[in-house]
Amino acid sequence: MAQTAEVIHWWTSGGESAAVKVFADQFTKAGGTWVDTAIAGGPNARTAAINRTIGGNPPTAMQFNTGKQFDELVEGGLLADVDAVAAQQNWKAIVPPAILSAVTRNGHAYAVPINIHGQNWFFTSNAVMAKAGATEPKNWDELFVALDKIKAAGFIPLAFGDQKGWERNMFNTTLAGVAGAEGFTAFWGKRDPAFVKSAEFRKVAETYRRFKAYVDPGAPGRNWNDAAAMVIQGKAGMHIMGDWAKGEFTAAGQTPGKDYGCFVLSNHGGGYVMGGDVFAFPKPKNAEVAKAQALLATTMMAPDTQIAFARKKGSIPSRQDVDSKSLDLCAQKAMGFVADKSKQIPANELLSPPAVTGAAEDVISAYWNDATMTTDAFVAKLVTALTQTL
Amino acid sequence: MRRNAKWLSAARIGLYAFLVISAAFFLLPLYVMLVTSLKGMPEIREGNMLSLPHAPTVAAWVKAWSSACTGLSCNGIQVGFLNSLKILFPSVTMSIAVGAVTGYALSLWRPRGAAWLFGILMAVAFVPYQVFLFPLVRMFSYVGLNSSLPGIIVVHTIFGLPTMTLIFRNYFAGIPLELIKAARVDGAGFWRIFGAIMLPMAVPIIVVAIILQVTGIWNDFIFGLVFAGRENFPMTVQLNNIVNSTQGEREYNVDMAATILTALVPLGVYFISGRWFVRGIAAGAVKG
Amino acid sequence: MAIGSRLAAQTALIPAMLIALVVYCGSTGWTIWISMTSSRMLPNNNFVGLRQYEILFANERWQVSVQNLALFGVLFITLALALGFFLAVLIDQRVRAEDLLRSVFLYPFSMSFIVTGLAWRWLLDPTLGIAKIAHDIGFEGVQFDWLVRQDRVIYTLLAAAIWHAAGLVMAIMLSGLRGIDQEIWKATRIDGIPAWRTYIFVVIPMLKGSFATATILMATSVVRLYDLSVAMTNGGPGIASEVPAKFVMDNLFERQNIGLATAAATSMLITVVAVVAPLLYAQNRAAARVAR
Repeated sequence: MAQTAEVIHWWTSGGESAAVKVFADQFTKAGGTWVDTAIAGGPNARTAAINRTIGGNPPTAMQFNTGKQFDELVEGGLLADVDAVAAQQNWKAIVPPAILSAVTRNGHAYAVPINIHGQNWFFTSNAVMAKAGATEPKNWDELFVALDKIKAAGFIPLAFGDQKGWERNMFNTTLAGVAGAEGFTAFWGKRDPAFVKSAEFRKVAETYRRFKAYVDPGAPGRNWNDAAAMVIQGKAGMHIMGDWAKGEFTAAGQTPGKDYGCFVLSNHGGGYVMGGDVFAFPKPKNAEVAKAQALLATTMMAPDTQIAFARKKGSIPSRQDVDSKSLDLCAQKAMGFVADKSKQIPANELLSPPAVTGAAEDVISAYWNDATMTTDAFVAKLVTALTQTL
Repeated sequence: MRRNAKWLSAARIGLYAFLVISAAFFLLPLYVMLVTSLKGMPEIREGNMLSLPHAPTVAAWVKAWSSACTGLSCNGIQVGFLNSLKILFPSVTMSIAVGAVTGYALSLWRPRGAAWLFGILMAVAFVPYQVFLFPLVRMFSYVGLNSSLPGIIVVHTIFGLPTMTLIFRNYFAGIPLELIKAARVDGAGFWRIFGAIMLPMAVPIIVVAIILQVTGIWNDFIFGLVFAGRENFPMTVQLNNIVNSTQGEREYNVDMAATILTALVPLGVYFISGRWFVRGIAAGAVKG
Repeated sequence: MAIGSRLAAQTALIPAMLIALVVYCGSTGWTIWISMTSSRMLPNNNFVGLRQYEILFANERWQVSVQNLALFGVLFITLALALGFFLAVLIDQRVRAEDLLRSVFLYPFSMSFIVTGLAWRWLLDPTLGIAKIAHDIGFEGVQFDWLVRQDRVIYTLLAAAIWHAAGLVMAIMLSGLRGIDQEIWKATRIDGIPAWRTYIFVVIPMLKGSFATATILMATSVVRLYDLSVAMTNGGPGIASEVPAKFVMDNLFERQNIGLATAAATSMLITVVAVVAPLLYAQNRAAARVAR
């Protein structure tokens, strides 16, 4: 008898749908029936999923970002653990510790970490870089040298989709690159006022704002994919985005290394900001649902599913024991970062709850947009935002 | 009179000029959406949003209606169309019926607690109703209304109540009391006066009520998402899936076509009810 | 007989009473309670007094939201009433193609901002929209960057909101105008009173009810203003076009901070009650003329 699983997720764009289809197909092959509830927009999908779980009519599985989004569902006893699957597939040995701990609460695994996304990639147009005589920078000083050259050659140096979330992502990229893993976790993890007030952080803040001079006036409100298109079309030199942006390049027929470059930039080596997606399972109502959940978890983490999914999604597999030769150049680089603990930084979502992230995001956005705001004021407001949420 | 003819015609020209310019301003966004929906993506990327399409194509419309992907199913927004209709008719009827009766009772009868009720309704009319979402989910799961068609209909009735009551009460309050007094002398009671006198006179305001409710309910997204259940997801959920995909390529022509398609029902209601306006008003004018 | 009708009237109110007591009052009570707890994603009963309110009132984004709403609300209601009334008067001059014009002015109201917001954003975009077209046809000096200027962005929301609502105002006003006794026009004409004066001193006072209905409808949409800000600017640039309802929504869902969200909602509710209650009281006293 077929096991039916209703899955709520927010993967609705072309590339994302293709990726989720990998799961659906593999699940069907394994004898299940996949019922797809796709709702665009992470907050929308999570709202529906959480409300249904609270209302006693939960889906079989629901998507979250790797991190703290589902903390309270665990505390409220609303989620089933996936310890059995984790033990059977030996996640301890094959999933990077930072990702594994992000799905673990009180010693139990409560979600399936299906992939890893790098959030702080620089994508460059090889054509523009060549015309401007710029080379791939090795540190943040060289970055601004390259941006100046691109500007001098008459291109838009930095393509930017200026929306709150991406402002925060650019800030995070700067934080990781200038202050390293230690600074990043001091900021989002410990939320340490001393660090925010330090000279090192002031350097982060001022570097972040330096980008403003390299962005074109049409940036505010632009969608990130339109910004990526500016690099693809050779109008702009660089774009800062998560690895999902590769999908845009691929769709335009471009190959990494040949048409565009990808690199992660840190003054402290490595500096790969690592997040991802997970699926969590509401407490099953009966044994039938529990079986479907177990089958779903097992299928999602199966090696061939992992590779096929990552290729479509632009991410990399969360399990490290798979054959990654079929992945592209950027993903190969990412696999290198993920294998070495010193080269990675847990993403924003893994370190701070959404309430804190959101409060800080408002301040980061105000600082970027309001040229009259001093760095002192920025620091003071950040300290409040990071420490004051109840 | 004659002496004024020249001046009058100048005023006429000014009047039409103003109306035409205003109409152009009102039509501009729709025009942008229409021409965009008829272009191919390469042409849209050129960025001349006001230019007519070089080679008009309805491909985006076909795709939006029948093959755009919203997650794994690639059946376009047609899937939600019937669902939206199923939600629309009972919800509009219910909310207007309850609102009209409540407004009528409040305006002319002053039953007990009327002042309080009206005060509460007034206050709620101003509250962002998303605030009620959470407790309502709890209440509905308690009575077993979650994720069902009746559930979403009740939700729309609940949140239509303040505005509906308000406009009906205001309208009925303006009706001459002599009419009602006469009817009562003739022995008509509460319901008879409502059915025989009030409703026929209320056609213009019913049209306004329909316009408000059709718009609000058809365009609702969050209630449909939370309360309707996945079998009854309205069209706006699919529209959102098409236009608000956060990552990945955006096909603006399909976005625009999907939006216009989704708006067709309220648009249609407006055009039809526009004529009813006139009739309702003509009927009202007889009472002079 | 009268008793029967009384009873019927009371019975007719049962659904509304139930909804008001159970849903509205129940939810409001719950909302107020949660605003005094430290709840984040799920409600908890960890009482923290008025701490959420302290945080809220110190929050810069909330302050900006409230200021935006006040400015936007006053301008929006005034301008939409003025434009809507003016359009209704013009259409009432026995113009040709009345049906068509009425529909043209009314259609924006039928569409949700989720995507008409996108069309507006394109039109107002400094590099793509009207500004670019002006440049292309030779007006190099034209600068139209209000959408991306922090001190101007709220007026671009205003333009879109008036576009959305003016037609509804027009419809309500038109329905009022058509209800006016034609004798009045004859009378003023005989007295030689110019039309514009008749409109201002005779017609507008007679349309009090229509103005009240339109004002209330728009006022409710002002307080609930959310979609427009999300679709056109998502509150930006920075926090320059944030509005209170968006603050509530963001904290309720994306930010999983329902304690702060309910504190914001309660503040909005208290403000509304403070404004509406005196009005109601005044209206109640004026409405002593009721069928008994």
